[in-house]
Amino acid sequence: MNTINNSNRKGLAFGRYAFGHSKGFRPNAKPLQVIGFILFLFISEQNSLSTSPPLATHHSSFTLHPSPFAILMKLLRTLLLSLLFTVSSLFLAAKAWAFCGFYVAKADAKLYNQASQVAIARSGNKTVLTMANDYQGEVKDFAIVVPVPVVLKKEQVEVGKPSVMAHLDAFSAPRLVEYFDPDPCQPQPMYDQMPSMAAAPSSQLAQKARGNAAELGVTIEEKFTVGEYDILILSAKESGGLETWLTQNGYRIPKGARELLKPYIRQRLKFFVAKVNLNEFEKAGYQNLRPIKMAFESPRFMLPLRLGMVNAQQAQDLLVYILSPKGRAEVANYRTVKVPSNTEIPTFVKSEFSDFYKSMFQTSYDREGRNVAFLEYAWDMANCDPCSAEPLSREELRDAGVFWIDEPQTEPSRPGFFAPRRPSPFPSSNVFITRLHVRYTRDRFPEDLVFQETNNREQFQGRYVLRHAFLGKTECAAGREYGRSLPRRFDQEAQTLARLTNWDIQKIRQKLPKVQAQAPSSWWEWVWARLGTQG
Amino acid sequence: MQIAQPSMFRDARLYQILFLSSFLLLGTGTRDWTLHPEIVATAIATCCITQWIWSVRSTPLTPITSPLLHPSLPSALITALGLSMLLRTEHISTMMLAAAIAISSKFLLKVNGKHLFNPTNLGIVAAVVLTHDAWISPGQWGESSWYALLFLGTGGVVVQRVGRWDTTGTFLGSYALLELGRNLWLGWTWDVLLHRLTSGSLLVFSLFMITDPRTIPNARVARLVWAGAIALLAFILRNVYFIPTAVFWSLFALAPLSAVLDLIWASPRFTWQVESLENADNSDAEEPKAPNNAEPEKKSYFLAPTP
Repeated sequence: MNTINNSNRKGLAFGRYAFGHSKGFRPNAKPLQVIGFILFLFISEQNSLSTSPPLATHHSSFTLHPSPFAILMKLLRTLLLSLLFTVSSLFLAAKAWAFCGFYVAKADAKLYNQASQVAIARSGNKTVLTMANDYQGEVKDFAIVVPVPVVLKKEQVEVGKPSVMAHLDAFSAPRLVEYFDPDPCQPQPMYDQMPSMAAAPSSQLAQKARGNAAELGVTIEEKFTVGEYDILILSAKESGGLETWLTQNGYRIPKGARELLKPYIRQRLKFFVAKVNLNEFEKAGYQNLRPIKMAFESPRFMLPLRLGMVNAQQAQDLLVYILSPKGRAEVANYRTVKVPSNTEIPTFVKSEFSDFYKSMFQTSYDREGRNVAFLEYAWDMANCDPCSAEPLSREELRDAGVFWIDEPQTEPSRPGFFAPRRPSPFPSSNVFITRLHVRYTRDRFPEDLVFQETNNREQFQGRYVLRHAFLGKTECAAGREYGRSLPRRFDQEAQTLARLTNWDIQKIRQKLPKVQAQAPSSWWEWVWARLGTQG
Repeated sequence: MQIAQPSMFRDARLYQILFLSSFLLLGTGTRDWTLHPEIVATAIATCCITQWIWSVRSTPLTPITSPLLHPSLPSALITALGLSMLLRTEHISTMMLAAAIAISSKFLLKVNGKHLFNPTNLGIVAAVVLTHDAWISPGQWGESSWYALLFLGTGGVVVQRVGRWDTTGTFLGSYALLELGRNLWLGWTWDVLLHRLTSGSLLVFSLFMITDPRTIPNARVARLVWAGAIALLAFILRNVYFIPTAVFWSLFALAPLSAVLDLIWASPRFTWQVESLENADNSDAEEPKAPNNAEPEKKSYFLAPTP
């Protein structure tokens, strides 16, 4: 049972059993390995140099060398923006932040030690489903059963590149960005360019079983080997027969599975059964199992979760990347909720972003009743801002199953009925990505996930902002005013953090930057500071 | 503005407006909807203006009737609130189109003085079919027993006032029976059935949309047949064709059946006026008195509430 438990934790955790193959059963499988989160502090520089030069303009330490025309334009813009800024800051205490800043870190799938990842590229009824596999146990113990809507032939199954799934994850992960306040005594516009954009790049398995398969009502529809996997496509007449067949053929089935096989059989779903072909695996020389990719045509747009919960003790994380030519995808039979985003949090979170994201996700999960799907990212695949990773190349998208990539872009850019679509500063493509994060348990997710694609092309990202205060010496009215505003701002950030993560506010406050108390200003100083006429 | 308050609150439409606007606020406040205020405002403005134009065209106002407070405006408001709650779009123009089609259909697509389609339903379907930026979010309410109770309670008040509880009952009952049969046959656990039936969107549909008295058949038998047919089609669309928004398509497809059923089972037609003698089978519905003595003589242009 250890292997089964281990498989459930580390194998594909949706709609399947990841159960041991008893011939190679080992009582002590590899223990759970918690993968620490790596902070990508170096990526900010790499980013600003390689993909998104405009980001650099937000920071004094990054300088570009523009042309004279650009300088003139910049001056004009600066003048205009200063005017706007002065007028607006006179009335508005809270600042609105544009979608820019330095990308510093991301919260990707490595954060969760029980995460499964699935990429679904779908247009019409045509679907390419890729299941990535973070199975950590013995390769020979690995086996999965996934209900699939149709009988798959060998040509419909492929092995995908692990790097593509990792790239999808990195591209869509919630991200941490940081800003640096300028010296308040030298006012300058907060930003002077549009948000940056990255350019669109451009066996032997069933032999002895065959005899009694018919008696058990099990039909081996297809049997083939793809890459390192031996694959069977089974159809069954009744769950008892299927269970017996699987047991006879060396698959260990958890208790309670039989009742769950029945609904799938009755819905005329087929069973995709895969195990590792050790010869092929050794020949190929891979370290880990590669993702399995399947292409099929079916009106069903769903992921069977129930089988994966047969004997799961804890909540399991599932990351679904849905690629569509239309727009955002959502869950049709559960609520889809956006993760909290675009909040300013204290700067110390930079060194503990993984803890922050995990706590924040858990808090939101509890708050929403533990029965919702979280939207972590929804974006046109042609761009990102800020980028936590480069957009996927056409080749990678094709590998992720985007079969319509070479078709001309039609629907997505079609305007509203009367008015044209709102002009977007971003390049667009015919691929829209939705990243859904579902943490599911048996009691809160009784039904399998059903998805639907929508025409919603509103972009969304999980994005958390660190705003570094200017803590240098200031000797002007604006500077004094700025200094006085800091404690309140820091406390606001602390409260936000406490609310999002449920962390102890007192402990958060201890970690805030220390600011020297400033004498209260006279009312005229306040007015001059707001008008920006002094200093 | 000398409207007699008690009679105002005897109009079921006002309850409907009250409940729908609270749901809208509740949904936006607690359910993380991507609702843009300008789109809600567009829906309300377009519905009211379209309604006003058509009403004034079809029924010249007497000098005493205030043109701003046209008696059919509450119906337009109900349509607008329904559209805001159920139809999602990023564009004002799409909502304008949906609202204009919804209201105009009440004047243009009529059989025997009754609407051929449920206005809100038609507006939603038109926007989804004709434009490329509208969609419906069936999962937006989630499945919570607390919401289910709220919807049943408030919907019950409206349905009871309109006196068309049989439609809601038949629809929900037959849909639940079909789902129960499916659940038993497949061998799913009971929580799967409960999850499917407590869907907020399903309840809002069955309590606030399908009950529109101006689109449902007049005779009770016809109403039972009609509601049962909608439930059956919705069930098939959802479980055989895997369309998550099945109920809306089912109502759209079967709404015109109402006219046929009226021919088969002739029965008095519903209007909102208690004075109307033809409202014989609707003793439960308490209709509003006219605001003052200037009661318009003709009542049939009063428009039905739509969710």
